[in-house]
Amino acid sequence: MSIIIEPKSDERHLVMGNEAIARGALEAGVAVVAGYPGTPSSEIVESLASVSKERNLYVEWSTNEKVAMEVAAAGSFANLRSLCVLKQNGVNVASDFFLHLAGSGTRGGMVILPCEDPGALSSVNEGDSRHFSRMLEIPLLEPGDFQEAKDMTKWGFELSETLKCPVLVRSVTRLSHASGTVTFGDLPTTEQQATFKHDGFVLDPETGPVISAPVNYKHGLQQQKVQQAMEMFEASPFNTYSGPDNPELIIITSSACNLYSREAIKQLGLRDRVGILKLGTTWPLPPRLLEKHLRSTNKVLIVEEVIPFLEESVKILGMELAEEIGIKKFFGKRDGSIPSTGELNPDIIIAALCNILEIDYVGIPAEYEEKAVTHLFLGAPAREGTFCAGCPHRASFWNISLALKMDNNEGFVCGDIGCYTMAVRSAGFSTLKTLHAMGSGTGVASGFGKLGQFGMDQPVFSVCGDSTFYHAVMPALVNAVHHKSDITLVVLDNSGTAMTGFQPHPGTETDVRGEEAVQMDIESICKSIGATVFTADPFDFKTTQETLHNLMKMKGGVKVLVLRQICALSPEKKGTRWFDMSVTESKCLGESCGCNRLCTRVFSCPGLVWDPVKKVSKIDDVICIGCGVCSDVCPVGAIDKKELT
Amino acid sequence: MQIAGSKELFEQVFDRDLCSVCGACVGICPYFKVHDGKVAKIFDCDLEQGRCHAQCPKTGVDFEKLSNNYFSQSYSESPLGTYQRIVAAKAGGTLTGKQFQNGGTVTALLVAALEKNVIEGAVLTGADGLLPVPKIAKSTQEILACVSTKYSAAHTASLVNEAARDKQQNLGVVGTACQLTGIANMRSNPLQKDGFVDPINLVIGLFCTWSLDARKFRDYIAGRLDPATITGMDVPPPPAEVFVVKTSTGNVEFPLAEIRELIPGGCAVCPDMTAKWSDISVGALEGKSNWNTLIIRSERGEKLVNEAVAAGYLELDDFPAESLEHLRLGAGNKQERAIEKQKQEEACQS
Repeated sequence: MSIIIEPKSDERHLVMGNEAIARGALEAGVAVVAGYPGTPSSEIVESLASVSKERNLYVEWSTNEKVAMEVAAAGSFANLRSLCVLKQNGVNVASDFFLHLAGSGTRGGMVILPCEDPGALSSVNEGDSRHFSRMLEIPLLEPGDFQEAKDMTKWGFELSETLKCPVLVRSVTRLSHASGTVTFGDLPTTEQQATFKHDGFVLDPETGPVISAPVNYKHGLQQQKVQQAMEMFEASPFNTYSGPDNPELIIITSSACNLYSREAIKQLGLRDRVGILKLGTTWPLPPRLLEKHLRSTNKVLIVEEVIPFLEESVKILGMELAEEIGIKKFFGKRDGSIPSTGELNPDIIIAALCNILEIDYVGIPAEYEEKAVTHLFLGAPAREGTFCAGCPHRASFWNISLALKMDNNEGFVCGDIGCYTMAVRSAGFSTLKTLHAMGSGTGVASGFGKLGQFGMDQPVFSVCGDSTFYHAVMPALVNAVHHKSDITLVVLDNSGTAMTGFQPHPGTETDVRGEEAVQMDIESICKSIGATVFTADPFDFKTTQETLHNLMKMKGGVKVLVLRQICALSPEKKGTRWFDMSVTESKCLGESCGCNRLCTRVFSCPGLVWDPVKKVSKIDDVICIGCGVCSDVCPVGAIDKKELT
Repeated sequence: MQIAGSKELFEQVFDRDLCSVCGACVGICPYFKVHDGKVAKIFDCDLEQGRCHAQCPKTGVDFEKLSNNYFSQSYSESPLGTYQRIVAAKAGGTLTGKQFQNGGTVTALLVAALEKNVIEGAVLTGADGLLPVPKIAKSTQEILACVSTKYSAAHTASLVNEAARDKQQNLGVVGTACQLTGIANMRSNPLQKDGFVDPINLVIGLFCTWSLDARKFRDYIAGRLDPATITGMDVPPPPAEVFVVKTSTGNVEFPLAEIRELIPGGCAVCPDMTAKWSDISVGALEGKSNWNTLIIRSERGEKLVNEAVAAGYLELDDFPAESLEHLRLGAGNKQERAIEKQKQEEACQS
């Protein structure tokens, strides 16, 4: 049995932050769950899907975030509690619908739950969705520990149902992906009935149509809800203060920074001098609570990650209250006390506190730091992020790179987000030259492909993964076909949402609950849109490169090449070996003119290793998955493959 | 010349648009390839010295070393290079009835060399449409399939590099100055690699004043006539100033000034009209359209010519004195223009 459906007890469970969030949703009686996979959010939907039968949930991985929010919203409109889970910056994708949803209001409690990645540990940006709460005027909750991750998720549904508007509950990597102890509450036992009432009075939030018009009225109503939320937040148990009555300095913080701040104060022994106001309700801020604490001190340090969102809200209140509480000295991002990019940690807060309070403290002795740096930079071999052994993307980019370079007309590839993002670097032979949001490669390519009238005749390629194809490439492809943009889209089809853990997508046979789904076919979709479509196996260098050259010769219009080869780590393929690989040392040219380590220096599959003593390449049998591709990379046929039955 | 690596080759030749697509840097390693008539660098190679740089005819050739290596004598500054004698020649009775660009001398010499077991095959330049494609001919039939001049720049030297890599031997090669300079560099084993085997036993040079960028030429022709109908090409002697494309429906003339726009940058710095690094050089003979100019340079060349004449493959005649003057003047002009251009290039660099 999944831990997230353990019955209520006094026992404390060690769970991942994402599991705590899932448990919170279950305790709230969530019925509809939709999301799009992505770091660091994926485990929420997956763990809920794993109990969907026991708890009678509808759970889906939607085609993209906007659709996910729409699917979840339908649940709310039908009086069910619904959850929309988004990866970091997924709110951006859904934001168009989100704006309308904030205006129309909701019925059953609806929580929008983005998990974000300050420091971009596994992302290409550190987008911060907190601004959406201010921009769209909806309440924002930020859990500060694992218990709160469960409790605040649960409360988010109640709040949403009270206010009749969606509620944002925001997590971050260090909460979602770390584990902590959580005490579980009751799981509801009532059956839920879905009905969408729509025939009532047009302004009736319970029975009328769900629309954001008349805008003036609905917008005003929405702002009343914000006021109501503010009142409720004044007494929220998720806003806590610990410290002396009149601290020398007060830290105002939220989310994972709460834990860092507590550790910093403990480390410096400042419990008698510094207080922490931990806020769980970060928009709108409860003014009377803030007034009370701002009055108690003259120095305020706001600790949060990335943009100064909380800092600005606190400063606005500080200004509004200045006549009553006096002028405060604020520290945070604007004065440089706290960096505005990257993750925070206790050391950064310790440094800020020492600076502000003029404390002489050496966290890490200079001698130790020097030793650590020496070991880090001299002891460890230099490594760049790369594709796994046997990854089809390495072969695909080898083909694309060779074809474009041989064509020698300054052709380039526009890319987007997926494992294949790594092709901006040596892992993919630096083939990607633009890199933006999911689906953007093809949209950008569509634009490049129309610049012929200004004399541009460079070949234009875009790449996308199979999941991304459905997510956001299709509209861009339609645009390119409609406008006769001269581009080639290469779909890197590795048969699953590989990067985030093989979640199903519209091209797979089953859905997240393991039930049979209608499987889409990329080739048929592209053909019906009007593109010229080819399919090849990226492991077949000759056919793939010939096809790419032929596509470049076909001037005008959209060409699609589906490069299909299943991910080496996929559950179906993992652990299977097609070939036994070996290097004939006498044939290997090694570093000499004629090869110069093409396989280990350029192709660089982790399954190939350079033997610096013998000066030849060798196969690392532990890492090699026996895909056989490198035997076609070697210019002199020194890498042998023996088929395994 | 200081031998450097592919990085320097790129800076000194490709970045300055001096490549004439001879193929001397191709067929050695995975990093340089020819595709669709153009040389491409596929990935960076960080070796400090490479054969790509050492063999390129545009990175600064050590003529003295090459001459000592090739002719066992000091380099001749003469625009005609080192030679034993110059004669007029054409294919003999044995090859009567065949179609040639001029006198059929090259074909006659190759067939003779093959028949006399001087060579086992010859690296020649065939064609795929308008695109020149080097190939190894191992029979008279295959040699005859490659007759007539390809005006587009051809990477013929790449196939000789591959032959050396595969340890082939006793091959002949027919090429123009840039290709043969690259091949001569290759045959000197510039990096002194162990186990090097010279694949070449006979070098026949072709007179060349310029070639055409294959891609540009194809694009030029594409809008003007159906490439499938082309049967041959020719540049009639001055003052015609036309480029003649022979087609199955008759000759089509193009202004030579337009065609000159399609010449690769590398041709302007080439000082060698008569392909000095050969055993025998062959070109047209002005005023005698069915005859060739034949420059016999080496002992090996002399021997083959004599055998070919004796067996009836080749017919010789005295070379007219005024033709020799013309030849000297033409070759001298190209050499002077190239040296002037080289100086300009160097001035630009410094």
